[in-house]
Amino acid sequence: MATLIPTLTLSCADATADLINFSVVNNLSVTKNIVSPSKIKLTTSDLEIGPTTYGKSYVYLKNTDDTIAINVEVTDGNSTMQLAAGEFAFFPWTGAAGIVVHSASGTPYLEYAIFEA
Amino acid sequence: MATTTATISISSSDLMPGSPLNISASSVLMKTGITTGMELMEMGNAEIAKDYEAQLFADGPATDNGAYWIYICNTTTEDSTYYIEYKLHETVIGRLYAGDWMFVPYNASDGDAEVEVKGLIGINKIEYSMFKTAWTLPAAES
Repeated sequence: MATLIPTLTLSCADATADLINFSVVNNLSVTKNIVSPSKIKLTTSDLEIGPTTYGKSYVYLKNTDDTIAINVEVTDGNSTMQLAAGEFAFFPWTGAAGIVVHSASGTPYLEYAIFEA
Repeated sequence: MATTTATISISSSDLMPGSPLNISASSVLMKTGITTGMELMEMGNAEIAKDYEAQLFADGPATDNGAYWIYICNTTTEDSTYYIEYKLHETVIGRLYAGDWMFVPYNASDGDAEVEVKGLIGINKIEYSMFKTAWTLPAAES
């Protein structure tokens, strides 16, 4: 069993009079399959990066393109998230529905990793 | 415009022997169009009991590919087996056990693109926030 430690920090000094500055950390157990940080070139065609053979997992995604958005679907045809240029996501995933990605246009690169608990 | 910066690091010293994992990424939260920083936000905390299903935010603003960010953390400390499941667009994406969190850009593509949570075990305490491109408060009932 390995330990995965994700940390999120959010900060903002000028949205409200109250400073936003918080950090959350977790210690997660990873015991099964791993997709190590990988980088792939996308097109507008669907590509499944997370098959339903996975069980409970943690997913990291990052759009490394400067301009093009990447659509993320957790059921086919349902654009659940859109990663704009440079954006990332981290979320627990049940594995019950596959993770499908495609570019909004062109051929951006997606960085991703999956850690099965 | 406001500048809200989100930074993530993911590390592990024992995931793969001889190859420590160190992922780091940072993003300034931008409104749709990625040129203006987000200024609108909604935050809160709540208790979610077993079998209770709640909608965290009002219905989406029907903006196809509109930029929104969602943070949900299960802050429960009483029992590590307590968990909720969360849904985006009527689809269960994952489970948040005590201490788990998620942070994703959310596609508020239509008025039914909701963010929902459901308690599965225990009384879960959660904190949540949404950073928004646009926000109209629900109309008052007449």
